[in-house]
This record gives sequence, C-alpha cells and structure tokens, in this order.
Amino acid sequence: MSWISEHLAPLMFGGMVLFMLVGYPAAFSLAATGLFFGFLGIEFGLIRPDFLGNLTFQLFGIISNDLLLAIPFFTFMGAILERCGLAEDLLDSIGQLFGPVRGGMSYAVIFVGAILGAITGTVAASVIAMGVISMTPMLKYGYSTRHTMGVIAASGTITQLIPPSLVLVVLADQLGRSVGDMYAGAIGPSLIQVALFCAWVAILAIVRPQDVPALPLEARTLSGWPLARKCLRGIIPSLGLIFLVLGTIFMGLATPTEAGAMGVVGAIALAAFYGTLTWPLLYQGMASTMRITAMVVYILIGARVFSLVFQGVGGKVWIEDLLTTLPGGQLGFLIFVNIFIFVIAFFLDFFEIAFIIIPLLAPAASKLGIDLIWFGVLVCANIQTSFMHPPFGFALFYLRGIAPPSVKTSDIYWGAIPWVVLQVILVAIVILWPGSVTYWIDKGSNVDPSKIQIDIPQIELPPIQFDAPTPR
Amino acid sequence: MKALLKISAAIDAVNEKFGFIANYFVLFAALISAGNAGSRYLFSESSNGWLEIQWYMFAGMVLLGAPYTLKMNEHVRVDLVYGMVSERTRIWIDIVGGVLFLLPICVILTYFTWPWFVESWKLNEESSNAGGLLRWPVKLLLPVGFFLMALQGISEIIKRVAALEHVIDIDFKYEKPLQ
Repeated sequence: MSWISEHLAPLMFGGMVLFMLVGYPAAFSLAATGLFFGFLGIEFGLIRPDFLGNLTFQLFGIISNDLLLAIPFFTFMGAILERCGLAEDLLDSIGQLFGPVRGGMSYAVIFVGAILGAITGTVAASVIAMGVISMTPMLKYGYSTRHTMGVIAASGTITQLIPPSLVLVVLADQLGRSVGDMYAGAIGPSLIQVALFCAWVAILAIVRPQDVPALPLEARTLSGWPLARKCLRGIIPSLGLIFLVLGTIFMGLATPTEAGAMGVVGAIALAAFYGTLTWPLLYQGMASTMRITAMVVYILIGARVFSLVFQGVGGKVWIEDLLTTLPGGQLGFLIFVNIFIFVIAFFLDFFEIAFIIIPLLAPAASKLGIDLIWFGVLVCANIQTSFMHPPFGFALFYLRGIAPPSVKTSDIYWGAIPWVVLQVILVAIVILWPGSVTYWIDKGSNVDPSKIQIDIPQIELPPIQFDAPTPR
Repeated sequence: MKALLKISAAIDAVNEKFGFIANYFVLFAALISAGNAGSRYLFSESSNGWLEIQWYMFAGMVLLGAPYTLKMNEHVRVDLVYGMVSERTRIWIDIVGGVLFLLPICVILTYFTWPWFVESWKLNEESSNAGGLLRWPVKLLLPVGFFLMALQGISEIIKRVAALEHVIDIDFKYEKPLQ
C-alpha cells in the first residue's frame, strides 16, 4: 500500500493515459481521473479533504477569464469568413497574378494562406475555404495530386502560427505571458515558414517541373488593369480586417478579446459587402461556434480537475524533476519536449495538449531559464504539424472529404509528408536561433500590452486556503 | 424501456432549448464586446457592467451549451482505440464512460458549486468593480450547467442501452470536431 501512495503521481499520469485511451470524451475522462485519484489521495492522507473544495474557485476562474472569450470570437469570425467569398476573390486574383510562373498556383495558395492567417485565428476556416476553391483548378491545370494536397493542407495550417492565432492566445494564457508578446514573437517564425514553403515550391519547379506547371494561356483570363482591380478588391478588405484585428492589438487600442469581437463585426460587414450575408450563414456560424467553445472549455474544466489533484499528489514536482534532470540542459530539454509533442500530437488535438501537457512542461522550462514566449512559439510551430500528420491530421481528414474519389487517400498522406518535414525544419530553426522569436518582441510591441487591459474586471480568486463552505 | 425513452426525449428537448439560447450568446457577446471597445475610444464611455455581461454570456454559452454539444456527440475524443472498434463496442464505451466518468463528475461538481451559489444569493453579492453586476446569476450557471450535463448523460445512456437492445436504431456517428 505504501508503494502506491509513494508513486501516486506516476500512477495518476498512467491512469490519465489509460482513461483517455478508452475513447470516452476527453473532458470527462480527465475529470474522472482527477476525482478518482483525488479520493485515493485523501484516503492515503496525501491531500486534505477540503482540497477538492478549491475546484469551485478554479471553475469560476475559467468562466470569468476574459482571455478565453477570444475562443468564441475568433471561431465565429472564422466561420463567417470561411463562406463569405473573400478567399475565392483572393485566390482567383493572386492565382492569375502568379499564373505565368511555374508553380504559380502553389505560390498563390501559400500567400493566400498567409493573408487569411493574418486575418483569422482558426485553422478550419483557412483549410476549408482554400480546399474548396483551389483544389479543382490546380488538378485541372496539371498540378500533381500529391503536391496539390500537400500545399493546400500546409498553407491552411499556417494560420495557426501567424498572429492573431487563437492557438497563441490559449498558449499565452496557459504560460502566463502576454498575448501581445506572444504575437510579436510569432512574426519571425511565420515569415520563415512562408519563405520555407515558397523555397520548396521553387525547388520543385526546377527539379520536377511537371508537378507544378505554369497556367496555360487560355486560363489567364485577366491582365493589366482588370487584374489589378480584382487583386485590390480582394486585398483591400483583407488589409482592413488585418488592421481591425492585429493593428488594434499591436497599437494597444484593444485587448485580444475585443479585437476578436471587432473581427466578427468586420467579417459580418465584409460578408454583407460581398452579398453573401444570410441569416442561415450567421446562425450556422453561431451554432458551430457555441459547440466548439463548449467542447474546448469543458476540456479545460476536465484538465483543471486533473491538474489540481495531480499537483496535490506531488505530480508537478515529479514531472519537474524528471524534465530538469534530462541530459543536455536547455537544448536537451527542448529537443526532448519537441519530439514528445510531435509524437503526442498524433493522438491529442491542440486544445488537449495546451490544457494538459503545457502546464506540466512550463515550470520545468522556466526553471531551465527558457524564455516562455520562445517556448510558446516553438510549441505552436510544433503543434502545427499535428494538423498534417497522416492519418489523423485534421487538415488531411478534411481534404479527404472534399477531394474527388479519383484522388487516392495515400496520395493525400504522401503529399503531406514534405510539408511536415518543412515544418520540422522550422522547429529546428527556431530552437537553434531564438533571435527569430525575440527580435520582433523588442521591435514589434513598443506598447506594453499589460497597459491595454484598463477596464478588465478582476477575477475574484481568493487565496487557495480560503475557508470556503466546502461540503463534507 | 418506452418510459425511459420518453424521459430521454424530454431531456433532449430541454437541452436543445438551452443550446438554442447558448447560440445567441455567441452573437450578443461579440456585438457587446465590439461595441464596448468602440465606445471606449469614440466616446470614452465604458462600463464594468457591459464588460462583465460578456463573460456572463461566455459562461452561459459554455455551461448551457455543453449538454447539447454532448447530444450532438461533438465532445472531442481520443479516437485511437475508439475509431478501430466495432459499433457495438463503441456503444458500450459510451455507456460505461457515462456511468463511471460523466455522471459522478457532474453530480459532484453540482454538489460543490450549489452551496456557493446559495451563499452569493443570500448575501446578494455584487461585483467588486464599480458598476458591476450581481454575482449570483453567473454562479447559478455552474450548478445548473453541471446538472443539465448529468441529465444529458442519463439521456445518452438510455438511448445507447435502447440501441443495444434494438429498441431504437440511432447512428452514434462520431466525427472529430473541426477547429
């Protein structure tokens, strides 16, 4: 019995893995692990019975967290933009612009992915919009199937790294850093990623020109002034939205949450401008946003129940000892952690990683003197691969749904692999060159983002020893 | 079984209504937040009440909407094993998980959060921010939300038991939610 009580933390971690693997919704599996081991912990005298009473405050802390409001706002904005017609316009015009070049449509997809990424914060919006629009023409004009699938999936997931990414907001919250700094830190790696993608297309254009042909003459319907006008029609509203969301954050005019809300208003206005704004579109957006938000925040609730007890039975100390004693110091830790996240991302989706795994890693990273912004951006770049992993990656899964039956599933998987490798190269660059992250933090935000949050209500979190009306 | 299925249908109907309300919170919260930010810079007008109503609505969309999300089978799973087993095994996983995971959790969380609401209600507790809102409505959302989730859990278990006994035929299809 004493063996169990001494090893309760590792047992609890194993229990969590086991409970999650069963396949019941993760939020409840996590919370159940927490409660089960919570009662064990009380039984063994490791934690005081009223310890679980702190849960109430933790739950209240979650629902009154202003930053988490960014989740529904960015999701809602993405849901509207996905179907408002902006992506069509952008892809069509930029595709024509790059058309004469070999690999032109691939460049267009990458650039539009980056522009959409700078507007929205959610991956689904980008992948869906771009997949629907560009897959058919690319296949039609002779792009190889594998390359088409890969470039669309990869460019859709750039959104995750480019500010205003929702992933960065959630990571900032979990790491206890400011969203503004996190966004500034992600600028460098985002640019490197776009450059890497373009370089890969350029290499392909030389090595395998038959995979990435230039647009045939008859497909280049626009040129000169009409082409310029069409480009502007797509780009001007995009810039407006980018200013509305990113600009207001960087200039210190709005909190990330408010910027998300303004993005929603901007997206609605844009849909109205394109004549695509209908009540069903709006209501579907609201409904899917509500369900995603509820699902995500429930994972957070489950994760809090888990981590409260895990901390109580000494889990944080156990993990910290385990990680800080890894050979190789900072570099060893980062390499280990990144391989770990890369592998675990096959099984867990982003929010599960952010709410379960990151809080376990952050204290150790901090202890090793790793800048948490750098760490967060690194994790973000790494998790991006999880959308692209065969066979569970969401981007691939979605492409399978919209690709014609003639496209083999294996083509989608093989097509993704070079792009996953490019993303791994990006992670390696960011590990070896921290300056790629920190450069823009010093430059980009001369505004102290902590000063933006003037009127934000304080979360009423009493100290942990608060003598609450705890049952029992 | 017939009677149980009736109960299940009633629970589904109730939570569908709450899901409907939760949908509207998304739109209203976004409009209020944008309006609040706008008015702060245009007219230097802002109030803590308007700021607080945003996260009250956030709490509402999560806690009132989650049971409906469960009904739609959109709570994310680790589908490594779940995706490989047979339909029947999946139904069993959901029944056992519902009984051992969901129900105890929701009952305990309801039990923990209820006294907290009662205290706030008795004290007529107000926000510590000037111009803030009454606190008990949002504190009430916690036990109500977990209670509704427990009910939905019961409804899902009933439907799955009925499906195992071939009383009803429902497709419990699960797709990883898009994000």
